[in-house]
Amino acid sequence: MSERAAPTPIDQAPIDRAPTDAAPTDAAPKPPRSALARWWDRRGFVNCLRWGAIIAFLGAWEGSSLAGWLDPLFASSPSLIVEKLWSMIADGSIWPHVLASANIAALGFGLSVLVGVPMGLAMGRSVAIRSTLEPFTTALNASPQVAFLPLLIIWLGIGIASKVALVFLGSFLIMVINTEAGVAQVDRRLIETARSFMANERQIMLKVILPSSLPYIIAGMRLGIGRTLVMVVVAEIYAATKGLGYLIFQAGGLYDTAQVFVGVVILAAAGIALNSFLRWLEKRLAPWQHVQAD
Amino acid sequence: MIEVRGISHGYLAADGLSQFQALKDVSLTIENGTFVSFLGPSGCGKTTLLRIINGLIKPTQGEIRIEGARVDGPKPDRAMVFQEFNLLPWRTARGNVEFPLEVQGVGKAERDRVVSRVLAQVSLEKFGNFYPHQLSGGMKQRVGLARALGVGPAYLLMDEPFGALDPQIREMMQLELMKLWDSDRKTVVFVTHSVDEAVFLSDRVIMFGTSPGRVVADLAIDLPRPRWTDDEAIKTSAKFIQYRNDIWRLLKHQLSSMPAI
Repeated sequence: MSERAAPTPIDQAPIDRAPTDAAPTDAAPKPPRSALARWWDRRGFVNCLRWGAIIAFLGAWEGSSLAGWLDPLFASSPSLIVEKLWSMIADGSIWPHVLASANIAALGFGLSVLVGVPMGLAMGRSVAIRSTLEPFTTALNASPQVAFLPLLIIWLGIGIASKVALVFLGSFLIMVINTEAGVAQVDRRLIETARSFMANERQIMLKVILPSSLPYIIAGMRLGIGRTLVMVVVAEIYAATKGLGYLIFQAGGLYDTAQVFVGVVILAAAGIALNSFLRWLEKRLAPWQHVQAD
Repeated sequence: MIEVRGISHGYLAADGLSQFQALKDVSLTIENGTFVSFLGPSGCGKTTLLRIINGLIKPTQGEIRIEGARVDGPKPDRAMVFQEFNLLPWRTARGNVEFPLEVQGVGKAERDRVVSRVLAQVSLEKFGNFYPHQLSGGMKQRVGLARALGVGPAYLLMDEPFGALDPQIREMMQLELMKLWDSDRKTVVFVTHSVDEAVFLSDRVIMFGTSPGRVVADLAIDLPRPRWTDDEAIKTSAKFIQYRNDIWRLLKHQLSSMPAI
């Protein structure tokens, strides 16, 4: 009941009674180093390694292709891919594919967040709801969701609906499971505190549980975006006339490896951009999670 | 006036069958305007009783009456200060103090006014926009205290509020609490492990014993007030030392009768 929890670190507040110019605890004196040196310590070294590796990889690929060790018909090469991408942008032929895929991805992923988060909150908060829904979520999670595509096409037709449904099916469980995990880790003491200040169940949900689970929800979204992109491609293999998945598989059939890579590069770029955005968002919305990192 | 009438409370053990008797038939009355401490070893039910008074826990038996009305849940006439501060990490100091007012439907302008007033009361007016992780332990607990004061409670319930602070900060916080208390003399129920803290702060120390949790002594502390102006004189006075030794003796007796320390 009244046992002590872990001791808090030594108090760094000034011990006078009016903390006027007291510094926040993380304002430790820094060694005098130039801005450039500090940037190098923080980011520069790691960034150089990272970009060095990327350039070496692309260089090796391009070089092997030029030297004839790799057959460009099968392996393409960075310069051929860039050339192809540029020509597709120049003649505008790339946009219908990008738009079609983006549309499916946004609808499917958006739905999975809109359904998955409330469902995860409800399952995390109520034993009755969790016990009822868990067999379904576990079974769905364990099955390869791609296998539902034929059924979805039979039910929803070959238009956009079946594709959106597949994306939804692929990513919404991650949202449910992550949100539920987020709710499970909410500090019980914060809920008790809210109750003691007369918060009702709805206020506890919106003002304590939801903000506290946000890092988990965003982590779920980052995983969900990966699944979304996979599902978009898979859905567009069948019965599609445009989209990046269609572009990739059509090009593959024609041995146009450069165009296959164009599709892959665009998808990868979209994945990286969305992931970085969510990381940034998480830092903005949950700054207390990054105290050590800063 | 807080009336504790025949309160018994048991927790179900993990096996779902045996019960741990946290409190057995506790009755006491707390007069308005007094500073009362609940003192006792771990497991004596003092924190449980505080939560029952707050309305967070429904007792297995008995009832709490405040000004004659039966307690059946938290109300804004009682506000709690927690040992581990329990601040919302995504809210600034201001946001945390604002939280109960928001929950209770107070308008934005009134909230801002109240928050500024109580933050000034705990000398944190310059730290309103800091997040809890940017504040020291002592400052966090000032926020916790401001949050409770903002509700405008008639009864302040403090659950080992300084237990997580290091000793120097703890003493400073005791002085500040005394100073603050002298300005309005609210009824305070203060749970603590520390004999010195209980004697220094209180008008009355209620001692709890274990297995089952129950009241074993109820002592009036007759030391002069204000106590924050010359705390050293009070802490070195013969009376203070006498109170402390008497309570220590009772406490040692309690501890030695516990199955394991």
